[in-house]
Amino acid sequence: MSLCRPTFSLLRKCIGQNLYNLRLSDSRSIKRWVSPTLRELKRRRDRIGPEPERPRSSFLEWNYEAEVYAFGKRLGEEFDKNLLKRALIQREYANKQEFAAREKGLPTPEMLHNYELIQEGSKIISKVIIDEYEKLYPQDIVKAVHEYLTTEDMLSHVGKHIGLKDLVLTNEFPVVNETLSNTFKAVVAALKQSQNLERAELFVKDFLLSQMNGKDVYEIWDPKNPYEYLMKLLNDKGISEVEPRLCNQSAVNTILANYQIGLYSNKKLLGIGWGENVEVAKETAAIDAIQRLFRNYVPKQ
Amino acid sequence: MSNKLFLLPALVSAPSQNGVGRYVGQLQRVVLKFCKNNGSSRGMRDFIESGLVNFAKENPGVVVYLKPRRHRSPIIKAEYLNGDTQWMSVRNFPQEEILKWLTLLNTQAQCHNGQRLRRLWFTEHPSIQGPWTPYTFRDPSLNLVSFPIEELAQPKDLPKSSEEELLELFKKQKLQEVESKRAE
Amino acid sequence: MSALKRVQQWATFARIWHLYDAAWQNPFDSAQVIKKHLMGLHKPIYHTMSQCGDVVVVINSADIALPGDEWKKRVYFHHTGYPGGASWTLAWELHEKDPTMVLKKAVYNSMDGNIQRRYTMQRLLIFPDSNVPKDILENISNQLRPLRKVPKRLDHYPEKEVKEFPKIIDYPKDYIVK
Repeated sequence: MSLCRPTFSLLRKCIGQNLYNLRLSDSRSIKRWVSPTLRELKRRRDRIGPEPERPRSSFLEWNYEAEVYAFGKRLGEEFDKNLLKRALIQREYANKQEFAAREKGLPTPEMLHNYELIQEGSKIISKVIIDEYEKLYPQDIVKAVHEYLTTEDMLSHVGKHIGLKDLVLTNEFPVVNETLSNTFKAVVAALKQSQNLERAELFVKDFLLSQMNGKDVYEIWDPKNPYEYLMKLLNDKGISEVEPRLCNQSAVNTILANYQIGLYSNKKLLGIGWGENVEVAKETAAIDAIQRLFRNYVPKQ
Repeated sequence: MSNKLFLLPALVSAPSQNGVGRYVGQLQRVVLKFCKNNGSSRGMRDFIESGLVNFAKENPGVVVYLKPRRHRSPIIKAEYLNGDTQWMSVRNFPQEEILKWLTLLNTQAQCHNGQRLRRLWFTEHPSIQGPWTPYTFRDPSLNLVSFPIEELAQPKDLPKSSEEELLELFKKQKLQEVESKRAE
Repeated sequence: MSALKRVQQWATFARIWHLYDAAWQNPFDSAQVIKKHLMGLHKPIYHTMSQCGDVVVVINSADIALPGDEWKKRVYFHHTGYPGGASWTLAWELHEKDPTMVLKKAVYNSMDGNIQRRYTMQRLLIFPDSNVPKDILENISNQLRPLRKVPKRLDHYPEKEVKEFPKIIDYPKDYIVK
């Protein structure tokens, strides 16, 4: 017993020293309370709901003059500052400001709004679209494309990607599609008045007509009865007889039936189409035939 | 196991057909937050003193905001025309690196954080001759027959059998006989 | 999606019904050809995840030809799961019971390792003889060539051709055939 005690103490010292040598450095780990705290914070954040959207102009870092200047420079156009500012002010906003000033008894600020500019811009845009497309396609397609490109959705999409969403002065927030499309038209008119019609038309071409990139015109224009439309076109040309022929078919008795129909006139192929039944295939072949005809379309001068 | 399992797959695209008409720099505004005293913002402060004005002059379409904030890390926050925001910490960055990152943010079209590009090209019309259909290389004469057909009942391109060789030899022999008769 | 794009997709992924005559054919070699068409590997638009395979209708599966001794020696094992439920069936026995099974199992086993083989096998229709239901026959629009040459019976050749066929040797003129 008496011998054991010093050996025990020796042993303890040795073990202690070894353990000390083995411990390389203090490790700073992620504490136990971190994860539950973060979880609880997230829970509370989610319970309240997302942060309400605020207009960019309500931020501390906002300089309207600088933004307007940068807007013009970014697009590579020289705008007249006052015209551009006018184009960004909506009629309702201007009226409201006037009304508020009158209520308080202050002198009414001269706020010119963009109402006339919108009308002007709308005309310029329509003219550009119709002029460009009349060179290549007949009237039906030109109308369809014009309608597609002048929808609110399309114009507001273009306006957003130019940067109008933060610059526009409106009563409502978040900014509505209608306002954005109107502002785009007003900006086009402002450009025309600052510089000339040519620059404004180039602007419309670069931003609005480029949205047709990659899109097939025939996705936008959809003739209601393609076969009848085709017959009308061919009658104008002088071809009265069209022979629809079944070129290929597969799995006819199943749901996945597929028919290939070719339209022939005087043994010449006009168009090929597929479909899940013969009628659909015929209509598709008619659309293909119409496309082939319009490929060589020359506008009447 | 790998990052790409968590990145969202995305395709290459130019926001709103940028570049088809004219090229518009997609960076709208840049907010530089920094501390006036702390050492982590030293690079940022140096950049603001030396390189920032040049950057702003060369890119008049980008609005630069400076926000000195005490006791906070230096940050670059970039806002793009399509609504993306990119938040970048530049803590302890030297000024050259800050300029480098700003140039990247300037030339980017959108914030690619959390995205992996599936292909580095994109086209709406991948096929010029038209997509393949089962009828593209189909012999149209098959439409006029009812299956099974005799023409397709034997294999094609088999090695020559002894029967065929025999027949060939026989034909050759016959031809030789005819020719020898003619020679006479 | 415009109408034209929709029908283009419909046409590109259209399912073709093929016919395969299995008479005189080795089922295991035929299985390689059939499986290719069932899975859609013969199409340039093939992808594992898109079920782009075609339907194959096999006729005359009762007339398949196994190589060598296989009719006597090939064994199909089945266990019911219950104790004593193991059974070893010879190929000829199986063929007697169900003349489509040998070919069916050949095609199934050729797709070993393929997770989609159960779905792919749904596209295979096997008939022991050439009686195929009318509506299935109407779907068929292509025939697959067999792998082995199918011999023609001597009495199916026209008499003239038989007489004119070149002979190497013949019976002597005064030989009497018993």
